[in-house]
This record gives sequence, C-alpha cells and structure tokens, in this order.
Amino acid sequence: MFKRVIALLTLALFASSALYAGQVKNYADINIGFAGMTLNNEYHITLANGAKAKAKELGVGIDVQAGDQHASAAAQLVIIENFLSNQVDGLIIVPSASEGLETALAKAKEQGVVVINADTLINREVAARAGLPNIPFYGTNNFEGAKLAGQYVREKFPKGSQTAILTGIEGHQNAADRRNGFIEGAGDAIQVVAEQTANWEVDQGYTAAQNIISAHPDLKLIFASNDNMGIGALRAVEEAGLKDKIAIVGFDAVSEALELVANGDFLATVAQYPSKMGELAVENIVKAIRGEPYADYIDTGVKVILKANVDEHKAYLAKYVD
Amino acid sequence: MSSQAPSRGKRWEMGELSLYAGALGIIALFTLVCRFYGRNFLTLTNIQNIITQSSIIAVIAIGSSLVILAGGIDLSVGSVVGMVGIFGGLLLKGGTPLWAACLLSLLAGTVFGALNGYLVSYGKVPAFIATLGSMQIARGLALLLNLGKPISRFPSELGLIMNAKVVGRMPVSVLYVFVLYFFMAVVMSRTRFGRHIYAFGGNPNAARLSGVRVRRVEMSAYVLSGLFAALGGIMLLSRLSYADPNAGNGYELNAIAAAVIGGISLAGGRGSIPNTLVGALILGSLTCGLQILNVPVYYQTIVTGVVIIAAVYVDKRGERRAE
Repeated sequence: MFKRVIALLTLALFASSALYAGQVKNYADINIGFAGMTLNNEYHITLANGAKAKAKELGVGIDVQAGDQHASAAAQLVIIENFLSNQVDGLIIVPSASEGLETALAKAKEQGVVVINADTLINREVAARAGLPNIPFYGTNNFEGAKLAGQYVREKFPKGSQTAILTGIEGHQNAADRRNGFIEGAGDAIQVVAEQTANWEVDQGYTAAQNIISAHPDLKLIFASNDNMGIGALRAVEEAGLKDKIAIVGFDAVSEALELVANGDFLATVAQYPSKMGELAVENIVKAIRGEPYADYIDTGVKVILKANVDEHKAYLAKYVD
Repeated sequence: MSSQAPSRGKRWEMGELSLYAGALGIIALFTLVCRFYGRNFLTLTNIQNIITQSSIIAVIAIGSSLVILAGGIDLSVGSVVGMVGIFGGLLLKGGTPLWAACLLSLLAGTVFGALNGYLVSYGKVPAFIATLGSMQIARGLALLLNLGKPISRFPSELGLIMNAKVVGRMPVSVLYVFVLYFFMAVVMSRTRFGRHIYAFGGNPNAARLSGVRVRRVEMSAYVLSGLFAALGGIMLLSRLSYADPNAGNGYELNAIAAAVIGGISLAGGRGSIPNTLVGALILGSLTCGLQILNVPVYYQTIVTGVVIIAAVYVDKRGERRAE
C-alpha cells in the first residue's frame, strides 16, 4: 500500500513537472503592458499603434499607457507599478529617461516579468543594477541615420558649404549621436559655422536660427537634429527671405516634415520606423513569454526621405494611423 | 471667522460628508468596473500602490494646504522638489552620508520657504508673484547645479527611505503619510499656531487686532511649505533612485488640487488638513484605476479635471443656496 502511494506520488510529480515544462501560454491568455514615453507626439503614437496592431494580429492582450504631458520617470514608474499589480506577462518600455527606471526595472525583475526595450536605449549600467543586464533592444541607430543624411549632403553640396547645426537636449544620447553622425557623413562638404542647442523645440529652433542667420549671411545649410527644430528654423529662413539660399535637413520624418519635403521647403528628413519597433517588440515579447527563441537586438533601420521617395513613405505610414 | 479654532457649522460637515462619499464612490466604482473587465483594483498590493504613488503629492500638499489656509498660495513647491533632488543627489554622489544629505536637503527647502515667506509677509509681495518668481529660480538652480544633466546610480540605501518594509510587506512610505497627517491634524486643532493660521487666513485684520503676530504666522506657513516640499523631493529621489532636474514639474498644481478637492478654501481660513490627504488619495486612485482599465491618457487628464471642479462645485452647494 505504502509503496503504491509512493509510486503514485512519484508518477504524479513527474507528470506534473512534464506538464509544467511543456506548459506554453495560449495567445489569448497573454497580457502585455506597453509603457510609452509619451503619447502627445506623432512619433510615439505611431510606435504604440504598431504594437497594438501586432497584438491584435496575434490575438494577445495589450495595455498602452504613457505619461500625460511631460516625459517623466516618476509617471512611468507609476504606470509600470500598475501594470505589475495586474500581473502582466511582459513589459515593453520606451523609457522617458534612459537612466531613470532603476526602481521600475527592479520591480519587474522581482516579479519575473519579461522586459523588452524599444526606441530609446535603457542605460545598460542602470539596467544591470536592477538585475536585468540583458534587456533586448529594438530601435534605430541614430548615428547611422544622421550619417546617411550627411552623406546625401556631401553628394549635393560643394566643399566647405557654411552649415549650422541645431542640436537636441544636452546630455541626450540621441542628440549627440545625430550631431556626430551628420558631421561624419557630410565630411568636408560642410564647414560648421554655428552650433546651438534648441532642446528639440519648434520655438527654440526658430529663435536660434534667427540669430544664426543674422550672424552668418553666407549660410547654405541648416541641419536640425529633429524636425520640430527644423520647422522653427524654416520660419526664420522664410522671414529673412532666404528660402532659395538656405537648405534645411531635418530628422524624424513627422508628417508635417513630409509635407515640407514634398513641397520643397525641406531638402530632406530622416525616417525611422517606429511602427516596426512596436510590432517587433510585441512579436518578440510574445515569443519570450511562450519560451520560444527571440531576438536580442534589432536595428529597425533608417531612410533618407527626399522629394523623390516621400510619397512612398507616406503610403507606408498611412497603415499605422488610427 | 474669529481667532478661535475653525468653527464647524453644519454646512461644512455636509461638505466633508460629500467628500468622503465621493472618495468611497470612486473606489467602489473602480472596483466594480475592474471586476467586470477581469482586472484587480481593490487588492492589498494595489492599495499600497495607490498610497505610495500618492504619498509624495500628499506630503507636499500639507504645505500647500497650510499656505492656502493662511490665505496665500505656493507655486514654487514643484521646482523645489526638482532642486532638492539634484542637490541631495550631488551631495550623495560627493560622498556625504545619507542622513546628512537628507538634513541638508531639508534645510535647502526650508531656506527657500523662508525666502518666499519673507517676501510675502514682510515684503508684501503678492504670494502668487513671489512664488511664481521663486518657482523659476528653483527650477533654474535645479538645472544649473548639475548643468542640466540627471544623476543616477545611487547607493542602494537611498531606496530604503521609501521602500523599506515595515509590518509585513507595507512600504514605509505609507507610514510617513499617516504619521505626518496625524501630527499636522493635532497641530492645527490643538495648538496656538494652528488656531493662528486659521485666524489669519480667515481675517488678517481681525487676527492682528486680537494680538496674533501675523507676519510671523504667515511666514511660518511658507517655511513649512518649503520643508514639506523638500521632504517630497527626498521621497521622490529615493523612490526613483534618480535625480532629474525637471522632476516635480507640475507638482505644485497637483498639490493645490489635492487641497482643493479636500475642501480647503482658496479664500483662506477654511478647511481641514486631514481632508487634503483624502484629496490626494482621490487623485491617486483616479490615475491608478484609469490606468488599470487602460483608459487612454488623454481621457485621464479630462477625468481628473472634471473631478477637481466637481469636488468644489459640490462643496459650494450651501453658498449657492444662500444666494
């Protein structure tokens, strides 16, 4: 009798462990939390829409949340806590501050939730301190994107063309990568006569460009590290009546910038593929949750958008509008 | 209003009742709707989450309530949170022991509060203007101190200030909130200082004539507001283990919203500080509940706005009837 009980128990144990090892979550039982940087600009909305579209296709659940007005580490921590208290299976994070998520990541680690990082790289050292040294990352290589734009400029402009660069927020890795990539790509075609930070903002791009234009009458080109600052710079160039003399290159390919490229106000902008980041993040986090192999790093690619290919890119984007 | 403790007429009690009913109603509503959608709202973890998430605004709102009770306003507290975070962060990075960094940070906030208080009470600069200016100054200092860069990678003890567990799994932050509010409730109802704040806020001239040292009382409200803002700054620094010069942006408005939802009158002299905690928890429950229900962020801000207005609208029922 006793032996039989032992045998039965052993059998039950084996059976249950085999069952457990082979237990793969059904798609319909998977819930993903998407903690976005913000949802008040087009770029991030497109990213989230890519994620939602893929979740729908796979039949998994997804919650999308982001801070209200400012990108804030505190707001993102609250969002992640609320996801965790509702037992999500995986977290997709677009960090609002690449060094600000130590506490949130530690909580995710504590709960054993899969984390995937999209768009903006979470600082590796900070992630390692939270116990998650190998968070997969899917995003753009900003340096390469700006370098491509620089190479286009190099083909188009004579050596030593006077150039101004509008840079993003000091200390942002993206800001440094875009500036450096552009300078490397453009090489000796440009002579940088002015460099100003305009904090990614339209109004500051406008003021900075005004001042630069009046100080450098022979300016030929403005490279704005994002389209917003480029749009500001365009207003300043228009006001000074120098639209035929000064070309503007932006970055991000927001819809306003695509219009500007189409009608010739911008020479070029650089497209990233935020929707692809969202799709890949969902696709791979589902694989990770189901115990299937998934990608550690994906460069989602960049493309220089010119008058010649702007319509093609617009058609691609139209798929991700709500 | 006389220089006595706040008189609690029937109308005021009605206001309090509708506040509590509103708070319970919101929680009940979220619990039901969340259950309907198969999500968890009223769980122990989640209640702790709501209190922890509200704790920083709740602590800052003590100071905001004091200042509003004294007939003023303090717009600088959000920037003080950011400034204290960077200041404390730099001290810690420079090797200052945690306790000393905390004390110096509290001191920095208090000095800022004293500056506001001096300008308003002795300098006669309108509170809105004085604190609008110091809000800019504090934000500028937050950016200047570390040249706009955030600070991260702190020693792990820093996190303990907020996250250390007391009694089971309850984080210590929950305890701060209740201890501080209990303390302030006693101060406001049982001490001369409390009575003087109400008296001054209700009618400054009457208070002065009845012997209240009005300038000192008014100034001390701002000093305490700076102190509580600094405490909020340390709490945020600990919660995130990350100092961001832009941290605390907009917190002044959330703290004022908590006070106003809690029934503190912007006219001064009327309201009760413990109800500010209810206001802060209502705001925290809204964020948490709406996020759990996956309501898009755009609607979340609209709902918050509606609740702020609704709370005051209901509170003013008596006044409308009187006219």
